[in-house]
Amino acid sequence: MRTMRILTGLSMISKMLFRRKIILIALIVIPLVFLTIVELTAPSRIIPFRIASLDIRIFIRELLKEIALVFFAVTSSGFLVSLIALNLVQIENDVNRRLVICGYHPFELLISNLLVLLLLIITIAVYIGLLVSWFVPISHFPMFIFGLMLIGYVYGCYGLAIGSMIKGKLEGVFFIVLLANIDSGWLQNPMYYAGAHNNAIIRYLPAYYPSQSAIIAAFTDYSGANAIVYSILYGTGFLILALLIFYNKMRIKK
Amino acid sequence: MTLKVENIAKAFGKNKVLQNVSFEMNPSSLYGIVGENGSGKSTLLKIIVGEWTSDSGKISVCDRLGYCPQKTLLFSQLTVDEHFRYFAAAYGIEKAELVRRSNSLMDYFNFKKFEKERIANLSGGTQQKLSLVIALLHKPKLLILDEPYSGFDWDTYLRFWDYTNQLREEGCAILVVTHLIMDKKQFDRVYNLEQGQLS
Repeated sequence: MRTMRILTGLSMISKMLFRRKIILIALIVIPLVFLTIVELTAPSRIIPFRIASLDIRIFIRELLKEIALVFFAVTSSGFLVSLIALNLVQIENDVNRRLVICGYHPFELLISNLLVLLLLIITIAVYIGLLVSWFVPISHFPMFIFGLMLIGYVYGCYGLAIGSMIKGKLEGVFFIVLLANIDSGWLQNPMYYAGAHNNAIIRYLPAYYPSQSAIIAAFTDYSGANAIVYSILYGTGFLILALLIFYNKMRIKK
Repeated sequence: MTLKVENIAKAFGKNKVLQNVSFEMNPSSLYGIVGENGSGKSTLLKIIVGEWTSDSGKISVCDRLGYCPQKTLLFSQLTVDEHFRYFAAAYGIEKAELVRRSNSLMDYFNFKKFEKERIANLSGGTQQKLSLVIALLHKPKLLILDEPYSGFDWDTYLRFWDYTNQLREEGCAILVVTHLIMDKKQFDRVYNLEQGQLS
Protein backbone atom coordinates (compact mmCIF):
# COMPACT_ATOMS: atom_id res chain seq x y z
CA MET A 1 0.00 0.00 0.00
CA ARG A 2 2.87 2.34 0.84
CA THR A 3 4.46 1.83 -2.62
CA MET A 4 1.06 2.25 -4.26
CA ARG A 5 0.55 5.55 -2.43
CA ILE A 6 3.99 6.82 -3.47
CA LEU A 7 3.43 5.82 -7.12
CA THR A 8 -0.05 7.37 -7.16
CA GLY A 9 1.45 10.54 -5.65
CA LEU A 10 4.21 10.53 -8.27
CA SER A 11 1.69 10.21 -11.09
CA MET A 12 -0.66 12.90 -9.76
CA ILE A 13 2.08 15.40 -8.88
CA SER A 14 3.61 15.00 -12.37
CA LYS A 15 0.23 15.58 -13.98
CA MET A 16 -0.42 18.69 -11.87
CA LEU A 17 3.01 20.07 -12.67
CA PHE A 18 3.01 19.56 -16.43
CA ARG A 19 -0.57 20.73 -16.87
CA ARG A 20 0.54 24.20 -15.82
CA LYS A 21 1.65 25.92 -18.99
CA ILE A 22 4.00 28.29 -17.18
CA ILE A 23 6.12 25.34 -16.04
CA LEU A 24 6.56 24.04 -19.58
CA ILE A 25 7.27 27.52 -20.88
CA ALA A 26 9.85 28.14 -18.13
CA LEU A 27 11.51 24.76 -18.75
CA ILE A 28 11.95 25.39 -22.46
CA VAL A 29 12.35 29.16 -22.63
CA ILE A 30 14.55 30.14 -19.65
CA PRO A 31 17.66 28.12 -20.65
CA LEU A 32 17.17 29.00 -24.31
CA VAL A 33 16.94 32.74 -23.56
CA PHE A 34 19.89 32.70 -21.11
CA LEU A 35 22.18 30.89 -23.53
CA THR A 36 21.07 32.79 -26.65
CA ILE A 37 21.75 36.14 -24.97
CA VAL A 38 25.21 34.96 -23.89
CA GLU A 39 25.92 33.64 -27.38
CA LEU A 40 24.88 36.96 -28.93
CA THR A 41 26.65 39.26 -26.46
CA ALA A 42 29.77 37.60 -25.00
CA PRO A 43 33.07 38.48 -26.74
CA SER A 44 34.99 35.74 -28.56
CA ARG A 45 38.48 36.27 -27.18
CA ILE A 46 40.64 33.75 -25.37
CA ILE A 47 41.38 34.46 -21.71
CA PRO A 48 43.29 32.57 -19.03
CA PHE A 49 41.28 31.72 -15.91
CA ARG A 50 41.69 29.76 -12.71
CA ILE A 51 39.30 27.11 -11.44
CA ALA A 52 38.85 27.70 -7.73
CA SER A 53 38.92 24.10 -6.54
CA LEU A 54 42.03 23.15 -8.56
CA ASP A 55 45.65 23.97 -7.75
CA ILE A 56 46.30 27.73 -7.68
CA ARG A 57 49.01 27.37 -10.38
CA ILE A 58 46.67 25.80 -12.91
CA PHE A 59 45.38 28.23 -15.51
CA ILE A 60 42.97 27.25 -18.28
CA ARG A 61 42.82 29.17 -21.56
CA GLU A 62 39.37 29.25 -23.12
CA LEU A 63 37.12 31.53 -25.17
CA LEU A 64 35.34 33.99 -22.84
CA LYS A 65 32.07 33.19 -24.64
CA GLU A 66 32.44 29.47 -23.88
CA ILE A 67 33.19 30.10 -20.21
CA ALA A 68 30.12 32.34 -19.97
CA LEU A 69 27.93 29.74 -21.70
CA VAL A 70 28.96 26.98 -19.29
CA PHE A 71 28.54 29.31 -16.32
CA PHE A 72 25.02 30.33 -17.40
CA ALA A 73 24.10 26.68 -18.05
CA VAL A 74 24.90 25.99 -14.38
CA THR A 75 22.98 29.09 -13.25
CA SER A 76 19.85 28.33 -15.26
CA SER A 77 19.81 24.66 -14.15
CA GLY A 78 19.94 25.63 -10.48
CA PHE A 79 17.45 28.46 -10.79
CA LEU A 80 14.88 26.42 -12.72
CA VAL A 81 14.99 23.37 -10.46
CA SER A 82 14.83 25.55 -7.37
CA LEU A 83 11.73 27.41 -8.57
CA ILE A 84 9.93 24.19 -9.52
CA ALA A 85 10.87 22.55 -6.20
CA LEU A 86 9.44 25.55 -4.38
CA ASN A 87 6.24 25.16 -6.36
CA LEU A 88 6.02 21.44 -5.65
CA VAL A 89 5.80 21.81 -1.89
CA GLN A 90 4.13 25.20 -1.66
CA ILE A 91 1.24 25.02 -4.14
CA GLU A 92 -1.97 23.37 -2.86
CA ASN A 93 -0.38 22.59 0.47
CA ASP A 94 -3.80 22.62 2.16
CA VAL A 95 -5.02 19.84 -0.14
CA ASN A 96 -1.93 17.80 0.67
CA ARG A 97 -2.86 18.24 4.32
CA ARG A 98 -6.28 16.81 3.52
CA LEU A 99 -4.58 13.79 1.94
CA VAL A 100 -2.64 13.30 5.18
CA ILE A 101 -5.85 13.48 7.23
CA CYS A 102 -7.29 10.82 4.88
CA GLY A 103 -4.36 8.44 5.41
CA TYR A 104 -1.23 9.51 3.51
CA HIS A 105 1.93 9.67 5.60
CA PRO A 106 3.75 13.02 5.14
CA PHE A 107 6.90 11.14 4.09
CA GLU A 108 4.97 9.27 1.37
CA LEU A 109 3.94 12.61 -0.10
CA LEU A 110 7.44 14.00 0.25
CA ILE A 111 8.99 10.93 -1.42
CA SER A 112 6.54 11.35 -4.33
CA ASN A 113 7.61 15.00 -4.60
CA LEU A 114 11.29 14.01 -4.46
CA LEU A 115 10.84 11.46 -7.26
CA VAL A 116 9.19 14.12 -9.44
CA LEU A 117 12.04 16.48 -8.58
CA LEU A 118 14.62 13.84 -9.49
CA LEU A 119 13.01 13.32 -12.91
CA LEU A 120 13.01 17.09 -13.42
CA ILE A 121 16.66 17.44 -12.38
CA ILE A 122 17.69 14.78 -14.94
CA THR A 123 15.49 16.24 -17.70
CA ILE A 124 16.68 19.81 -17.13
CA ALA A 125 20.35 18.78 -16.90
CA VAL A 126 20.21 16.75 -20.12
CA TYR A 127 18.26 19.47 -21.98
CA ILE A 128 20.59 22.29 -20.91
CA GLY A 129 23.67 20.10 -21.39
CA LEU A 130 22.65 19.33 -24.97
CA LEU A 131 21.89 23.02 -25.64
CA VAL A 132 25.31 24.10 -24.36
CA SER A 133 27.13 21.35 -26.22
CA TRP A 134 25.71 22.82 -29.42
CA PHE A 135 27.70 26.04 -28.75
CA VAL A 136 30.69 24.75 -26.74
CA PRO A 137 32.88 21.64 -27.20
CA ILE A 138 32.51 19.96 -23.78
CA SER A 139 35.54 17.89 -22.66
CA HIS A 140 33.65 15.30 -20.60
CA PHE A 141 29.99 15.45 -21.52
CA PRO A 142 28.56 12.81 -19.09
CA MET A 143 30.41 14.41 -16.14
CA PHE A 144 29.27 17.86 -17.24
CA ILE A 145 25.65 16.63 -17.24
CA PHE A 146 26.30 15.17 -13.80
CA GLY A 147 27.58 18.58 -12.66
CA LEU A 148 24.33 20.16 -13.89
CA MET A 149 22.40 17.48 -12.01
CA LEU A 150 24.36 18.35 -8.86
CA ILE A 151 23.45 22.04 -9.05
CA GLY A 152 19.85 20.88 -9.62
CA TYR A 153 20.06 18.67 -6.55
CA VAL A 154 21.53 21.35 -4.27
CA TYR A 155 19.23 24.13 -5.46
CA GLY A 156 16.23 21.78 -5.72
CA CYS A 157 16.65 20.79 -2.07
CA TYR A 158 17.05 24.49 -1.19
CA GLY A 159 13.73 25.15 -3.00
CA LEU A 160 12.07 22.31 -1.06
CA ALA A 161 13.38 23.70 2.24
CA ILE A 162 12.18 27.24 1.43
CA GLY A 163 8.81 25.94 0.19
CA SER A 164 8.33 23.91 3.39
CA MET A 165 9.33 26.83 5.59
CA ILE A 166 7.57 29.79 3.93
CA LYS A 167 3.86 29.91 3.14
CA GLY A 168 3.74 33.01 0.92
CA LYS A 169 4.40 32.43 -2.78
CA LEU A 170 6.02 35.80 -3.37
CA GLU A 171 8.24 35.49 -0.30
CA GLY A 172 9.33 32.01 -1.45
CA VAL A 173 10.22 33.25 -4.94
CA PHE A 174 12.11 36.16 -3.36
CA PHE A 175 14.35 33.80 -1.38
CA ILE A 176 15.00 31.67 -4.48
CA VAL A 177 15.82 34.64 -6.71
CA LEU A 178 17.97 36.25 -4.02
CA LEU A 179 20.24 33.25 -3.55
CA ALA A 180 20.29 32.19 -7.21
CA ASN A 181 21.17 35.72 -8.26
CA ILE A 182 23.93 36.33 -5.76
CA ASP A 183 25.39 32.84 -5.59
CA SER A 184 25.06 30.90 -8.84
CA GLY A 185 24.35 33.95 -11.01
CA TRP A 186 27.20 36.15 -9.83
CA LEU A 187 29.74 35.00 -7.24
CA GLN A 188 30.42 31.59 -8.81
CA ASN A 189 31.31 33.16 -12.16
CA PRO A 190 34.95 32.07 -12.70
CA MET A 191 35.76 35.54 -14.03
CA TYR A 192 34.47 37.19 -10.85
CA TYR A 193 35.83 34.56 -8.49
CA ALA A 194 39.43 34.93 -9.76
CA GLY A 195 39.51 38.59 -8.69
CA ALA A 196 37.41 38.36 -5.52
CA HIS A 197 38.99 39.74 -2.30
CA ASN A 198 37.37 37.22 0.01
CA ASN A 199 36.72 33.99 -1.81
CA ALA A 200 36.34 32.04 1.46
CA ILE A 201 32.74 33.33 1.61
CA ILE A 202 32.10 32.18 -1.95
CA ARG A 203 33.33 28.68 -1.10
CA TYR A 204 30.60 28.27 1.53
CA LEU A 205 27.74 29.16 -0.79
CA PRO A 206 25.57 26.31 -2.16
CA ALA A 207 26.46 26.68 -5.85
CA TYR A 208 30.24 26.56 -5.30
CA TYR A 209 30.86 22.80 -5.45
CA PRO A 210 28.33 21.97 -8.20
CA SER A 211 29.65 24.86 -10.33
CA GLN A 212 33.20 23.64 -9.86
CA SER A 213 32.20 20.12 -10.78
CA ALA A 214 30.49 21.26 -14.02
CA ILE A 215 33.28 23.68 -15.02
CA ILE A 216 36.05 21.12 -14.37
CA ALA A 217 34.19 18.55 -16.51
CA ALA A 218 33.53 21.09 -19.28
CA PHE A 219 37.07 22.41 -19.72
CA THR A 220 39.66 20.10 -18.10
CA ASP A 221 40.75 16.50 -17.63
CA TYR A 222 41.17 16.98 -13.86
CA SER A 223 39.07 15.09 -11.32
CA GLY A 224 36.13 16.85 -9.71
CA ALA A 225 35.57 14.09 -7.13
CA ASN A 226 35.84 16.41 -4.12
CA ALA A 227 33.39 18.87 -5.64
CA ILE A 228 30.92 16.02 -6.29
CA VAL A 229 31.12 14.72 -2.71
CA TYR A 230 30.69 18.17 -1.16
CA SER A 231 27.80 18.98 -3.54
CA ILE A 232 25.97 15.85 -2.43
CA LEU A 233 26.60 16.68 1.24
CA TYR A 234 25.39 20.27 0.78
CA GLY A 235 22.21 19.19 -1.03
CA THR A 236 21.54 16.48 1.56
CA GLY A 237 21.77 19.09 4.33
CA PHE A 238 19.02 21.12 2.66
CA LEU A 239 17.04 17.93 2.05
CA ILE A 240 17.11 16.93 5.72
CA LEU A 241 16.02 20.43 6.70
CA ALA A 242 13.14 20.25 4.16
CA LEU A 243 12.11 16.79 5.43
CA LEU A 244 11.97 17.92 9.04
CA ILE A 245 9.97 21.10 8.37
CA PHE A 246 7.59 19.38 5.94
CA TYR A 247 6.94 16.51 8.33
CA ASN A 248 6.35 18.83 11.26
CA LYS A 249 3.86 20.92 9.27
CA MET A 250 1.95 18.03 7.72
CA ARG A 251 1.79 15.46 10.50
CA ILE A 252 -1.47 14.70 12.27
CA LYS A 253 -1.38 16.35 15.69
CA LYS A 254 -2.88 14.18 18.39
CA MET B 1 -18.09 5.44 21.30
CA THR B 2 -17.24 7.11 18.00
CA LEU B 3 -15.97 10.46 19.22
CA LYS B 4 -15.10 11.75 22.68
CA VAL B 5 -14.02 15.37 23.16
CA GLU B 6 -12.87 16.20 26.70
CA ASN B 7 -12.15 19.69 28.03
CA ILE B 8 -10.65 21.10 24.83
CA ALA B 9 -9.20 24.60 25.11
CA LYS B 10 -7.53 26.69 22.45
CA ALA B 11 -6.36 30.30 22.48
CA PHE B 12 -4.71 32.45 19.83
CA GLY B 13 -2.72 34.94 21.87
CA LYS B 14 -5.13 36.44 24.39
CA ASN B 15 -8.16 35.38 22.36
CA LYS B 16 -9.63 32.28 24.05
CA VAL B 17 -11.43 30.61 21.13
CA LEU B 18 -12.38 27.36 22.89
CA GLN B 19 -12.79 26.78 26.63
CA ASN B 20 -13.48 23.39 28.21
CA VAL B 21 -15.37 22.04 25.21
CA SER B 22 -16.64 18.52 25.89
CA PHE B 23 -19.09 16.20 24.15
CA GLU B 24 -19.28 12.65 22.87
CA MET B 25 -20.96 10.90 19.96
CA ASN B 26 -22.21 7.35 19.57
CA PRO B 27 -22.76 5.37 16.35
CA SER B 28 -25.76 6.54 14.27
CA SER B 29 -25.99 9.89 16.05
CA LEU B 30 -26.35 13.20 14.22
CA TYR B 31 -25.13 16.29 16.06
CA GLY B 32 -24.97 19.86 14.95
CA ILE B 33 -22.79 22.69 16.18
CA VAL B 34 -23.95 26.21 15.36
CA GLY B 35 -22.31 29.50 16.07
CA GLU B 36 -21.65 32.88 14.56
CA ASN B 37 -18.79 33.54 12.17
CA GLY B 38 -15.52 33.44 14.10
CA SER B 39 -17.02 31.59 17.07
CA GLY B 40 -14.43 28.79 16.82
CA LYS B 41 -16.43 26.10 14.99
CA SER B 42 -13.79 25.41 12.35
CA THR B 43 -11.04 25.57 14.99
CA LEU B 44 -12.81 22.83 16.95
CA LEU B 45 -13.11 20.66 13.85
CA LYS B 46 -9.47 21.19 12.90
CA ILE B 47 -8.48 20.01 16.37
CA ILE B 48 -10.76 16.96 16.15
CA VAL B 49 -9.31 15.86 12.77
CA GLY B 50 -5.73 16.46 13.93
CA GLU B 51 -4.88 19.46 11.78
CA TRP B 52 -4.22 21.65 14.83
CA THR B 53 -3.30 20.89 18.42
CA SER B 54 -5.36 22.01 21.38
CA ASP B 55 -3.76 23.80 24.33
CA SER B 56 -5.32 21.27 26.69
CA GLY B 57 -7.85 18.46 26.73
CA LYS B 58 -8.15 15.07 25.08
CA ILE B 59 -9.81 13.69 21.96
CA SER B 60 -10.60 10.07 21.09
CA VAL B 61 -11.69 9.45 17.49
CA CYS B 62 -12.60 6.17 15.79
CA ASP B 63 -10.27 4.95 13.05
CA ARG B 64 -12.43 5.61 9.94
CA LEU B 65 -12.94 9.35 9.81
CA GLY B 66 -14.47 11.25 6.90
CA TYR B 67 -13.81 14.98 6.86
CA CYS B 68 -15.30 17.58 4.54
CA PRO B 69 -13.64 20.94 5.25
CA GLN B 70 -15.37 24.29 4.83
CA LYS B 71 -13.07 25.32 2.00
CA THR B 72 -13.30 22.95 -0.98
CA LEU B 73 -9.78 21.58 -0.76
CA LEU B 74 -9.17 20.06 -4.19
CA PHE B 75 -6.30 20.02 -6.69
CA SER B 76 -7.19 22.53 -9.39
CA GLN B 77 -5.21 20.74 -12.14
CA LEU B 78 -6.57 17.23 -11.51
CA THR B 79 -9.81 15.79 -12.84
CA VAL B 80 -12.68 14.45 -10.73
CA ASP B 81 -11.67 10.90 -11.59
CA GLU B 82 -8.04 11.55 -10.60
CA HIS B 83 -9.18 12.90 -7.23
CA PHE B 84 -10.96 9.64 -6.58
CA ARG B 85 -7.79 7.67 -7.39
CA TYR B 86 -5.58 9.93 -5.25
CA PHE B 87 -7.86 9.86 -2.19
CA ALA B 88 -8.57 6.13 -2.65
CA ALA B 89 -4.81 5.56 -2.31
CA ALA B 90 -4.91 7.57 0.94
CA TYR B 91 -7.84 5.53 2.29
CA GLY B 92 -6.45 2.22 1.02
CA ILE B 93 -9.41 1.37 -1.23
CA GLU B 94 -8.81 -1.25 -3.95
CA LYS B 95 -9.40 -0.31 -7.59
CA ALA B 96 -12.54 -2.40 -8.23
CA GLU B 97 -14.15 -1.17 -5.03
CA LEU B 98 -13.23 2.40 -5.88
CA VAL B 99 -14.89 2.23 -9.30
CA ARG B 100 -18.06 0.84 -7.72
CA ARG B 101 -18.22 3.42 -4.94
CA SER B 102 -17.24 6.47 -6.97
CA ASN B 103 -19.74 5.65 -9.74
CA SER B 104 -22.49 5.15 -7.22
CA LEU B 105 -21.73 8.45 -5.41
CA MET B 106 -21.36 10.43 -8.65
CA ASP B 107 -24.68 9.06 -9.87
CA TYR B 108 -26.36 9.85 -6.57
CA PHE B 109 -25.11 13.43 -6.43
CA ASN B 110 -25.55 13.86 -10.17
CA PHE B 111 -22.11 14.87 -11.41
CA LYS B 112 -20.90 11.81 -13.32
CA LYS B 113 -20.83 13.85 -16.53
CA PHE B 114 -17.92 15.87 -15.05
CA GLU B 115 -15.81 12.77 -14.30
CA LYS B 116 -13.04 13.74 -16.75
CA GLU B 117 -13.18 17.51 -16.10
CA ARG B 118 -10.43 19.36 -14.29
CA ILE B 119 -11.45 21.04 -11.03
CA ALA B 120 -10.47 24.47 -12.37
CA ASN B 121 -13.29 24.10 -14.95
CA LEU B 122 -16.02 23.07 -12.47
CA SER B 123 -18.64 25.28 -10.80
CA GLY B 124 -18.38 25.97 -7.05
CA GLY B 125 -21.39 23.72 -6.37
CA THR B 126 -19.89 20.76 -8.23
CA GLN B 127 -16.59 21.24 -6.42
CA GLN B 128 -18.53 21.21 -3.14
CA LYS B 129 -20.23 17.94 -4.14
CA LEU B 130 -16.88 16.35 -4.97
CA SER B 131 -15.41 17.55 -1.69
CA LEU B 132 -18.30 15.90 0.18
CA VAL B 133 -18.09 12.69 -1.85
CA ILE B 134 -14.35 12.38 -1.09
CA ALA B 135 -15.25 12.36 2.61
CA LEU B 136 -17.79 9.57 1.94
CA LEU B 137 -15.61 7.42 -0.32
CA HIS B 138 -14.34 5.00 2.37
CA LYS B 139 -17.69 4.54 4.18
CA PRO B 140 -16.64 6.45 7.31
CA LYS B 141 -17.72 5.56 10.85
CA LEU B 142 -17.57 9.24 11.79
CA LEU B 143 -18.36 11.97 9.27
CA ILE B 144 -17.34 15.53 10.10
CA LEU B 145 -18.81 18.21 7.86
CA ASP B 146 -17.85 21.87 8.04
CA GLU B 147 -20.53 24.04 6.36
CA PRO B 148 -21.22 21.18 3.93
CA TYR B 149 -24.21 22.48 1.99
CA SER B 150 -23.45 26.18 1.61
CA GLY B 151 -22.91 25.83 -2.17
CA PHE B 152 -25.65 23.26 -2.85
CA ASP B 153 -28.80 23.81 -4.88
CA TRP B 154 -32.11 22.70 -3.34
CA ASP B 155 -32.15 19.28 -5.05
CA THR B 156 -28.59 18.51 -3.87
CA TYR B 157 -29.48 19.75 -0.39
CA LEU B 158 -32.36 17.23 -0.22
CA ARG B 159 -30.18 14.45 -1.60
CA PHE B 160 -27.55 15.32 0.99
CA TRP B 161 -30.04 14.74 3.83
CA ASP B 162 -31.33 11.52 2.25
CA TYR B 163 -27.81 10.21 2.02
CA THR B 164 -27.03 11.31 5.56
CA ASN B 165 -30.01 9.35 6.85
CA GLN B 166 -28.85 6.25 4.95
CA LEU B 167 -25.41 6.61 6.54
CA ARG B 168 -26.93 6.88 10.00
CA GLU B 169 -28.86 3.67 9.42
CA GLU B 170 -25.53 1.99 8.62
CA GLY B 171 -24.11 3.17 11.98
CA CYS B 172 -22.20 6.27 10.90
CA ALA B 173 -22.07 9.16 13.39
CA ILE B 174 -22.32 12.59 11.76
CA LEU B 175 -21.19 15.94 13.09
CA VAL B 176 -22.34 18.98 11.10
CA VAL B 177 -20.90 22.38 11.85
CA THR B 178 -22.68 25.35 10.36
CA HIS B 179 -23.63 28.94 11.06
CA LEU B 180 -27.23 28.21 10.13
CA ILE B 181 -29.41 25.15 10.77
CA MET B 182 -32.68 25.22 8.85
CA ASP B 183 -34.13 21.91 9.99
CA LYS B 184 -33.33 21.28 13.65
CA LYS B 185 -35.53 18.19 13.91
CA GLN B 186 -33.10 16.26 11.66
CA PHE B 187 -30.55 16.38 14.50
CA ASP B 188 -30.31 14.35 17.70
CA ARG B 189 -28.72 17.33 19.35
CA VAL B 190 -27.68 20.84 18.37
CA TYR B 191 -24.97 22.64 20.36
CA ASN B 192 -24.48 26.37 20.29
CA LEU B 193 -20.85 27.48 20.35
CA GLU B 194 -20.71 30.85 22.05
CA GLN B 195 -17.77 32.59 23.70
CA GLY B 196 -15.71 29.43 23.33
CA GLN B 197 -18.18 27.18 25.14
CA LEU B 198 -20.83 24.69 24.03
CA SER B 199 -24.34 25.11 25.37
